[in-house]
Amino acid sequence: MAILDVTDLTTRFRTDDGIVKAVSGVSFSLDKGKTLGVVGESGSGKSVTFLTLMGLVDKRHAEVSGSVIFDGDEILGLSSSRLRNIRGKRIGMIFQDPMTSLNPVKKIGWQLEEAVMLHNDVTKDEARRRAIEILKEVEIPKADTRVDDYPHQFSGGMRQRVMIAMALINNPEVLIADEPTTALDVTTQAQILRLMTKLQQDHEMAIVMITHDLGVVAELADDVLVMYGGRVVEEAVVDDLFAKPEMPYTWGLLGSLPRLHVTSERLEQIPGQPPSLLHPPRGCAFNPRCAYAFDRCREELPELRAGAVGVDHRFRCHLADEDRARIWEAKKATLEREGSAA
Amino acid sequence: MSELLAVDNLQKYFPVTRGLVFQKEVGQVKAVDGVSFTLEKGETLGVVGESGCGKSTMARCIARLLEPTGGSITFDGREITHLKRNDMRPVRRDMMMVFQDPYASLNARKRVGSIVGEPLEVHGIGTDQDRKRRVQELLEIVGLNPEHYNRFPHEFSGGQRQRIGIARALVINPKLVICDEPVSALDVSVQAQILNLLKDLQQDFDLTYIFIAHDLNVVRHVSDRVMVMYLGKPVETALKQDLYTEPKHPYTGALLSAVPIAEPTAGRARKQIVLTGDVPSPLNPPTACRFHPRCPRFVDGKCNVDEPLLTPAPGQPEHEFACHFPLERWPMDEDEIRRRPAFAGTTTSPAPASAE
Repeated sequence: MAILDVTDLTTRFRTDDGIVKAVSGVSFSLDKGKTLGVVGESGSGKSVTFLTLMGLVDKRHAEVSGSVIFDGDEILGLSSSRLRNIRGKRIGMIFQDPMTSLNPVKKIGWQLEEAVMLHNDVTKDEARRRAIEILKEVEIPKADTRVDDYPHQFSGGMRQRVMIAMALINNPEVLIADEPTTALDVTTQAQILRLMTKLQQDHEMAIVMITHDLGVVAELADDVLVMYGGRVVEEAVVDDLFAKPEMPYTWGLLGSLPRLHVTSERLEQIPGQPPSLLHPPRGCAFNPRCAYAFDRCREELPELRAGAVGVDHRFRCHLADEDRARIWEAKKATLEREGSAA
Repeated sequence: MSELLAVDNLQKYFPVTRGLVFQKEVGQVKAVDGVSFTLEKGETLGVVGESGCGKSTMARCIARLLEPTGGSITFDGREITHLKRNDMRPVRRDMMMVFQDPYASLNARKRVGSIVGEPLEVHGIGTDQDRKRRVQELLEIVGLNPEHYNRFPHEFSGGQRQRIGIARALVINPKLVICDEPVSALDVSVQAQILNLLKDLQQDFDLTYIFIAHDLNVVRHVSDRVMVMYLGKPVETALKQDLYTEPKHPYTGALLSAVPIAEPTAGRARKQIVLTGDVPSPLNPPTACRFHPRCPRFVDGKCNVDEPLLTPAPGQPEHEFACHFPLERWPMDEDEIRRRPAFAGTTTSPAPASAE
């Protein structure tokens, strides 16, 4: 059953230079207890999508349309006071940089207690007990003394644990994690990912994992959205996406990834730069960088459609099914040949 | 091939002082503590480790941007460890750096032409016209447009800025290029472009690289040899293929298995070692083997008393590691790695040793 159902979400920012089409017609649904991976490069609209649905974009400069149904209720366009009952309580959020997301002049305990007391009618003592409890749950050693430390006394990985603790302290139904491990070392990243998986099981949360790292997505996600130029360009169950990606951009992403078990001398690269959202290209946003683009791609935006594989695997591409299948088989063969040479 | 760079027992200690006027030294941060390696012409050495392991400090010492506390650096047959500023200047022509953050490493008030041309100007090479020609040539080589000469850095994207940084490093034909996390701030698709560019340039201009990164995937793609550092010391050095298939040090194993695999089935099936805790403070590093508080193979009375030295692996003279209980095979999962071979003085089960 879907806890979060987003339909045709669109965000446009008015700037002095013109209108930035940050998010265009994004739709997806997230089931209880599932993890949705959202992948894309910087500027693909992945963060703005979720800031919009949380009501965190500045209404004075942004035009928002579409619908966001959370647990049966429309939350897009709710007043700040109504939203406050949802944000931080029923939907938690973790941001990329744990240093700038914590208040440097307040103790960790204070910041956690604030989150509890804002949403629950509890005494300060109870809030503090809850804060220590959640710090233990995110595996911070000596939680009962560390609760009185300041953020600067924690390492990067520990701070990210505190951020997770803060997002989880009110037992949210949905956790939105925006690049939670990008600023961390691989070893710390592995710790945090393992912790998130464990907490997801304990709390039966749905998680949205926004990342540019396909490895993290492969590890954690059940379903994946690939975003490009403010649009969803491919969506699929994680195994299908990696086994049979349908969109040239996804091929490029998979090819450009340096991998431990692949020894090829050169990486496949996607030429050019991500598109400007101020003046997006006509037709398919990926056409200027796509090796297979033809006239129709430059004129007409491809619909998000299902191919031969099934209704759950949808993508935007004008290429005929048999052409795509042929190109991918060839690519896969190269990737596998390199893999076996390792 | 001949040796371009030899680093011997390099040390860099930062004093920790207390007091405003009479600064009293209360301790030392041993950021780099005994790093030795040699680098052949045309070779790429990858340096990996978590943040705080001293890899950037080491690079800065080699480029003499920091004064080493001890050890020696021999570059192109000449000892440069304590050269004076003036004597160092000609050496700097042969040694350039590419920095991590392409947003911070380019002067925002200067035009691309003068940023890229600055090394030429500093070293007084050529006339203005020669320089301009050279800069435009370089911009083209790194995949930018020579017409970008008069633009400002803010007009470029991250990947393009990193290309500018690379052009600046190459403009005076250096022999050694030290790349300090050159792609970690970039998107994957752009990262691939820059990695390919660096490889092409190496072939075309016969460059030698020291390539610092925290991402083992990236290092694998560009390096011939890889050095893994932990808290200021190298723990394992090996040829690329050996390090990735037969890591000996448990820390290398942990780093390798921590990298997420971009294939769901392989990812779920793999054996993973997740380290606990963080890198300890270099102000007060653990005794003997610095990795022992986090090590799954820690043996009390050995690892925390007797410091392991870098020793070559049997049959692989170029594969050195510093560990009393090296990994017997790879991959291993957490339970396997804990069952280390028997050691005199402990009573752990000797079972897996027979498998070898």
